[in-house]
Amino acid sequence: MASQILPLELIDRCIGSRIWVIMKSDREFTGKLLGFDDFVNMVLEDVTEYETTPQGKKTTQLAQTLLNGNNICMLIPGSVGPDEEG
Amino acid sequence: MDNSPPPPSNESPPPQPPPPQATHTGSPTDFLKGVVGKRVIVRLTSGVDYRGLLSCLDGYMNIALEQTEEHVNGVVTNRYGDAFIRGNNVLYISAAEPI
Amino acid sequence: MDLSSSGIQEPFDLIRLSLSERVFVKLRGDRELTGILHAYDGHMNLIMSDVEETILIVDTDSVPTGQGVLQVAKRKMEMLFVRGDGVILVSPPART
Repeated sequence: MASQILPLELIDRCIGSRIWVIMKSDREFTGKLLGFDDFVNMVLEDVTEYETTPQGKKTTQLAQTLLNGNNICMLIPGSVGPDEEG
Repeated sequence: MDNSPPPPSNESPPPQPPPPQATHTGSPTDFLKGVVGKRVIVRLTSGVDYRGLLSCLDGYMNIALEQTEEHVNGVVTNRYGDAFIRGNNVLYISAAEPI
Repeated sequence: MDLSSSGIQEPFDLIRLSLSERVFVKLRGDRELTGILHAYDGHMNLIMSDVEETILIVDTDSVPTGQGVLQVAKRKMEMLFVRGDGVILVSPPART
């Protein structure tokens, strides 16, 4: 049988490296993944938050942050985020 | 790992043994332990920010803040001595001072 | 869990200590209430009396950049049940 990797195993392998988080809304985050739980609440470090508003794009720098897993849509491991394609 | 709310009473002993390692694992639980009593920024999904001293929180991410300032688009729009924030509105909790 | 300065160990303690007091409640849909808190439950369903509701009517059409303020409507209600899922924030009176 082909070896299969569980989705959360992939995220577990991302701990310690940077990750790109895309929310269900027009909001994205990048940062170093420190940990996560069963709800995929994530602890990130050196975070950049990207917002797309009617007034244009906005970024916010954040220190250690607990991101609520409830609104997460996609995770892109090892990516630097929307600025440059990793 | 366990993100369920704490039991309502402490009459019975806790069902689970303490985690084997007390070291920093970077999990959400550890983050929250480190950040209680510190200044935090709580952003809601609506984009409104609350900056204040984190008194405590529970497994639903319900939050009690002290000395709270409400920020909308970078402008202080309200101040509260204490504030209870219902967890379903929370987008993130960010440390506003070193943990 | 650590308690910082007060006797609050979980967020609901803040609400419990506000029973029979006048509280400020922020709701979804740009609504705000002030009133006496009589009861609450784990959903944050609330029973309040002597309530004044403030509705912020944001007119985004006239101001294309958004956050166009607005018109304020107020009304009073004697006794009110608030469904918990609409609650964003509850602020008790200042503790001493």
